Amino acid sequence: MKALLLALSMTAAPAWAEDWPSAQWPVDNAVIDWQAVDTYAFAPRAAERGGIRTDALLIIRDGRILHERYTEPTRVDTPHLTWSVSKGVLATVMGVAYGEGRFKLDDPAARYYPALQRHPGLRLIDLLHWASGLAWQEDYEYAPLKSSVVAMLYTRGRADMAAYTAAMPAVSAPGTQFAYSSGDSNLLAASLRGMLDPARYADYPWQALFTPLGIKSAVWERDGAGTYVGSSYLYLDARDLARIGLLMQRDGRWREGRLLPAEWVAFNRTLFSAAQPVPGEANPGGHWWLNQPLPGQPAPWPDAPTDTFAALGHWGQALYVLPSRKLVIVRYADDRDASFSHNELLKRVLAAVAGEGA
Amino acid sequence: MKRVVLVLLLAGLAWAWHERQALADFPGILSAYSAKEYCSCRFVMGFAETYCRGYVQQYLPLSLLEEDGARRMVTAEGLGRRNQAAWQGVREGCRLLP
Repeated sequence: MKALLLALSMTAAPAWAEDWPSAQWPVDNAVIDWQAVDTYAFAPRAAERGGIRTDALLIIRDGRILHERYTEPTRVDTPHLTWSVSKGVLATVMGVAYGEGRFKLDDPAARYYPALQRHPGLRLIDLLHWASGLAWQEDYEYAPLKSSVVAMLYTRGRADMAAYTAAMPAVSAPGTQFAYSSGDSNLLAASLRGMLDPARYADYPWQALFTPLGIKSAVWERDGAGTYVGSSYLYLDARDLARIGLLMQRDGRWREGRLLPAEWVAFNRTLFSAAQPVPGEANPGGHWWLNQPLPGQPAPWPDAPTDTFAALGHWGQALYVLPSRKLVIVRYADDRDASFSHNELLKRVLAAVAGEGA
Repeated sequence: MKRVVLVLLLAGLAWAWHERQALADFPGILSAYSAKEYCSCRFVMGFAETYCRGYVQQYLPLSLLEEDGARRMVTAEGLGRRNQAAWQGVREGCRLLP
């Protein structure tokens, strides 16, 4: 009977009973053995920059900090480079603009970024799916000679990254093929610029997203033209990135209000139908990565729930959201090789949480 | 034998012509990468000089990596090219200079 009453009171709990971070995050003092997680994530560092090198691990359950650990010199207040996690945050900023009615998914990108007029069939939804069809080589240090992303960030493209991408030739029809491209993300950043009054662009990520969420650590670097490097150069401390994770976990709600339309988050979490499976790699949704399997394929991270989604970046940066477990996990890292496995980390976190109190 | 060398040489030249843009850009990558990411390591993430020197280190060595702490400006030289990055502001972080 007691259990029944407890269950009833939990389901009947009003929305205000949810935990949200204010200036600080609430803490969950559950007794959980994190040894297997920490042994994996925080192995002793070799002198030669090899192996798994976690800078920060922050685990949030239902709006409360469950576990948190840093490796010097990264600290709780370090705005850490997120690399391509920036793309997921850019999509979230665009979600606010979407909620304000500034664009429709099917709009041609050239409407907001005229440099794309040579590609009239390219829609914003195609950019969000990384399916612009524009030629691109997404490699970093392994193939610097041919890498479009290296040229965009450091040489030919750095003065204006969107213009550099827009000048690429089309190699497939827009929306027909998934080809992960940081150039596509920067075309989105330039399109967002075109949706706003010029004086408002610089402040927009703060006004639209960071300030309402109470994020104070954000730094977002720009290219030579003043456009946000939406693909790569956002910095946040781990607790601030977790705020974006909590917003996504709760379908775009923040406290008593709603920051993102529910349909926007649903779009972020919907598989791009033209995606091709790559073993161990998450599948593309609307500028976020999904653990949802492609038809006839296993889930990319078999030990995590299929509703898991993530923003992922170079050198092991990750924001994982597990809505069915009410978990948000931030990982910052300096992985210089490929030894880290998303599935292994998630598997160990889920096992630790399942063994609560044991 | 001479003919084989000639064919290889021609193939090499054809490849170099085909990749002329990438080859011309290549020497600038090292110093630009180092200047930009070192600047952000120091002045955005706030890490110490020694850590940031290790953080940007690549297989190819730089001939110069120097910071002007007062102006928050970084100069890097390598493979015969020189690049500078400078801190732009609290929200803007670092950017490569033209």
